[in-house]
Amino acid sequence: MDDRSLTTTDCDVVVVGAGPAGTCAAIVLARAGLDVVLLERGPFPGSKNMYGGVVYPRILDELIPSWWEEAPVQRWVTRRSTMVLTPDQALTVDFRSQRWGAPPYNGATAYRPDFDHWLAAHAEAAGAQLVCSTTVTGLLRDAGGRVVGVRTDRPDGDLRTRLVIACDGVNSFLAKEAGLYPPVDAANYTLGVKETLALPKDVIDERFGVRGREGVDIEILGGTGGVNGGGFVYTNLDTVAVGAVLKLPKLAAQRRRPEEIIAGLKSHPAIAPLVEGAEVKEYSAHLIPEAGLSMMPRLAGDGMLVAGDAAAMCLAAGIWLEGVNFAMASGMYAGRAAVEALRAGDLSTAGLAGYERRLSSTFVLRDHRKLRRAPSLVLSDRVQHVYPELITSVVERMFRVDNPAPKPGLRRIVRDETKRLGVRTRDLVRDGIDGLRSFG
Amino acid sequence: MTAVPSTAPAVVAVCLKWTPSPFDGGPLGPDEGDDRFAGVSPADRAALELALQLSDAIGASVTAIAAGPSAADRVLRDAVAAGATRAVRLDMAAGSDSRDVAFELAQVVADACVVLCGDYSLDRGSGAVPAFVAHHRRCAQALGLVSVDVTASASSVAGAPDGELTIHAVRRLDGGRREVLAVPTPCVLSVEGSVASLRRAPLRRALAARSAPVEVIATPPAHHHGAPAIVTPYRPRARTMPAPAGEDVLGRLRALTDAGTSGGRGETVELAPREAAARIVDTLRGWGYLD
Amino acid sequence: MTAHGTPRNHDHAHRWPEISFQDRMDTVRFDVHERAHIVVDGSKCEGCSTQHCVVACPANLFVPTSDGGIVFNYEQCFECGTCYLVCNVEGAITWTYPDGGHGVVFRRT
Ligand SMILES: Cc1cc2nc3c(=O)[nH]c(=O)nc-3n(C[C@H](O)[C@H](O)[C@H](O)COP(=O)(O)OP(=O)(O)OC[C@H]3O[C@@H](n4cnc5c(N)ncnc54)[C@H](O)[C@@H]3O)c2cc1C
Ligand code: SF4
Ligand code: SF4
Repeated sequence: MDDRSLTTTDCDVVVVGAGPAGTCAAIVLARAGLDVVLLERGPFPGSKNMYGGVVYPRILDELIPSWWEEAPVQRWVTRRSTMVLTPDQALTVDFRSQRWGAPPYNGATAYRPDFDHWLAAHAEAAGAQLVCSTTVTGLLRDAGGRVVGVRTDRPDGDLRTRLVIACDGVNSFLAKEAGLYPPVDAANYTLGVKETLALPKDVIDERFGVRGREGVDIEILGGTGGVNGGGFVYTNLDTVAVGAVLKLPKLAAQRRRPEEIIAGLKSHPAIAPLVEGAEVKEYSAHLIPEAGLSMMPRLAGDGMLVAGDAAAMCLAAGIWLEGVNFAMASGMYAGRAAVEALRAGDLSTAGLAGYERRLSSTFVLRDHRKLRRAPSLVLSDRVQHVYPELITSVVERMFRVDNPAPKPGLRRIVRDETKRLGVRTRDLVRDGIDGLRSFG
Repeated sequence: MTAVPSTAPAVVAVCLKWTPSPFDGGPLGPDEGDDRFAGVSPADRAALELALQLSDAIGASVTAIAAGPSAADRVLRDAVAAGATRAVRLDMAAGSDSRDVAFELAQVVADACVVLCGDYSLDRGSGAVPAFVAHHRRCAQALGLVSVDVTASASSVAGAPDGELTIHAVRRLDGGRREVLAVPTPCVLSVEGSVASLRRAPLRRALAARSAPVEVIATPPAHHHGAPAIVTPYRPRARTMPAPAGEDVLGRLRALTDAGTSGGRGETVELAPREAAARIVDTLRGWGYLD
Repeated sequence: MTAHGTPRNHDHAHRWPEISFQDRMDTVRFDVHERAHIVVDGSKCEGCSTQHCVVACPANLFVPTSDGGIVFNYEQCFECGTCYLVCNVEGAITWTYPDGGHGVVFRRT
C-alpha cells in the first residue's frame, strides 16, 4: 500500500483538527464534491476542547440554516453583564434583551464536547472522511519546501494530499513547522482555567434571574489578584462555569496557582452568592492566543492554509472573548479559497491568496484590525490593577450618603481618587484616548 | 506461516461486548446512552489482538461479533480497521440475557476454530457468555487465560497427525498458581486484559473501515436457550462464623485470608473431570455455599 | 448601572464544599497512554531559578524536590501547552501530544 508514487495523492485536502475551524473547512470542501480527510487526535471531536462557554453561531446561517433547531445548546444568552471587581467592591453593567431569546438568537452557552461533535457530524454527512484518535505529528514536504501531506502516529500513517489546512488549535505545531509563525512569545498567550459547577436548574434560574432556556454571560475585569487577566461566569442548564483567564508570564512569576485564583473569584462577595453550595463537576484548562493581529502567522504557504486558533484568530479583547465564531468563519473562508485554488490548479501561496482576501473583507480581520490595540490595553497594568479601584471608588463616593456633609461633585471625586491612587492625569487621558481608539 | 489443512479457510472469531459506558464517569455520573463514550473492555481488546495474531500465524480470517444496537457498529468498524475481515452485529438491546446472547453468538461462530472473548465486561456482567457459547457448540473451553502462546499454538498444527490446531495457554488458579493448558480446537477461550495490547489500526485501513459493511442479524426476543438458569454469581446467605484462630490481629487476619501460607485451606487433587466436579460440589456444600 | 457596596454580614469563606487537589483532578477523565507525551529533563531543572512551571501548570504536575530538581508526572495532563511556554531553559521540556485517542477527555467544558 505504501508504494504509491510521489506524484499521486490520497485525497484532495487534509484538514487537521476537528474543532470549529477544521470542521467548517471540511463542510465547505466536502459539499463542493472534493475528497477531504478530517483528522482529529481526540477520541471524538470536542473531546480535547474547552472554552469559557458562549458561542455566537450566526455565521452558521451560511452553512447550516436553522442551526438553532438542532445545535446542542444549553441556554440562550439574554443577559450579559460586565463586572469590574476590587477585593470588596463590584461595579456591574448589566444588559438584558429578550430579543436574544428568540430566533435567530445571539449567543448560546454550549459544551464543546457536544457542540464540536454535533458540528463534525455535519462534515461527515457532507461526505468528509473524519478519522479520530489520530495525531498528526508533522508535515510532508517536497524538495522545494512545498507541503504535500501529513504524517500521523498511526502505522502506515502518511497521507499525501494536494492541500493541508491546519486547524490544530492554539499550539499549532504545524503552522510553526511550516515556518509561518514569528518567534513564539509566552506573553501572547493566556491560560484559561475553569470549574464546571453543578446546581439545580431552578436554583440557577433564581440566582441569575432567568427563566426557561434563558442564560447569563458575565465577563469580569479584576478579581484575578496580581495576575493580569479576567474572569467569567456562564450559566448552562444545570451547571455554572466559573473561570479565569491569566496572562502567562504574570501567572508564572507570582505564587498563586490557577485553582487558587478561581477560588478567589468564587469567594468574591459579588460572585459567591451565585455559586455557593455548588460542587465541582469538572476542572479544565486550555490556552488562548490573546494577542490578535500582533501574533498572527502568515496565513498561507505553498500547499497549506492556517485557520482558527492555529492562526491566532481568536478575538480576546477584554469584554469580548470570541473564538469559536472566528474559527468557524476562518475555516469556512479557508474552505472556499481552497475550492477556488483547487479548481484553478494553483495551490501556491499566491494561488491561495483568496483566503486572506476573504478574511480582510469580512468581520474576521476587520474586527481584529479595529480592536488591534484592545488586548494589550485591557491586559495593561493600569487597566488591570489601578482603574478597577478608581472606577469603583468613584462610584462608591457618588452613591455614599455622608450627611450632614453635602454631596461632592463628580469632578472633585475623580480628582481626589486619581490623586489617592497615584494615577497621573496624563496617563488617564492617554489611556482614555487609547480606549476610544481601541473600542470606538 | 502454517496453513490449516482444511477445505474452507479457517476462521478465528472474537466476541466484543459493546458497553454503553466503559467508564464510571466520576462525579458527573456514567455517560450512559452516549455513543461518544461507549466502547469495549480492555479484556475484549486483548481478545481481538490475540485473534489477529493467531489468524496471522495460522492463515485464518477474523470475524468480529458484537451484540448491541446500531451504535455498536463503531466498535466493529474499529475491529475491521485493526484487521478483522468480517463484522457481524447481533441486533439486541444492551444488557440482554447472557443465555440469549450466547445462543445467538454460537450460531455465528459455528464455523470458527477458535472463539475468543474478554474474560469480564465493564458493566460487571456474569462472565458466563463464553461458557454458554462453549456449551452450545459442545466444544472445549478455557476461561480466564493470562497468556496464550501464539507461536507454539500455530506450530502445533504441523506436529499433529490430523493437522489439528491446539492452543497453548496459561490459566490463573487460586493461590497465585498457574495451569499450563493444551486446549484442543474448536474451543472457546476467554482472556484477561493483560494478555495483549491491541495494535493501532493503520491509517488507510482506518479510512477504509469508515464505510466497512456490518452484517446485521436480527434476533428474536428473549428465549433463554436450554442452558442452566443460574447466570449471576451465587451469593451465600450470611452465617455466623467462629472467630478465626490467632494470637493477635495480624494472626487472625492471616488465618482468615490464608495469606502467607503455602497451601491455605485449598487442596490440589488429581481426578477425572466427572469426579472432580462432584468433589467441588461436595466441598462447596461442606463449606455451606450450596444447600 | 448598579454598584454593590462593601459586604455586610457576608461570611463568604467556605460556602461551597472544600475540594482537595486530587479530588479536583479526579473530576477529569484521562485515558492514559503508556508513553509519556511530555518528558522533563530533571538535570536541566536543577539550574533553573524561576521554576515557573510549578505555579503555572493548571494540573500541578511539576513538583519541586528538596535538592532543587523537579519531579514530573505526565498522566493527568490537560495538554494545554503552558509549561513549554513558561519554561526558559532550552531542552528542559520535550513536549508532544499523546498518541491519538489518549489523554484528556473533556465532557462538560
Ligand atoms: C478559557 C477559554 C475561554 C474561551 N471562551 C470563549 C467563549 O466564551 N466564546 C468563544 O467563542 N470562544 C472562546 N474561547 C476561544 C475558543 O475556544 C477558540 O477560539 C476556538 O476553540 C478555536 O477553534 P479552533 O477550531 O481553531 O481550535 P480548537 O477548538 O482548539 O480545535 C483544534 C482541534 O484540533 C485538534 N488537534 C490539535 N492538534 C492536532 C494534531 N496534531 N493532530 C490531530 N488533531 C489535532 C484538537 O484536538 C482540536 O479538536 C475560549 C478559549 C478558552 C481557552
Ligand atoms: S521545567 Fe523549565 S521552568 Fe520548570 S523547573 Fe525545569 S527548567 Fe525550570
Ligand atoms: S501541558 Fe499543561 S497540564 Fe500538561 S504539564 Fe504542561 S502545563 Fe501542565
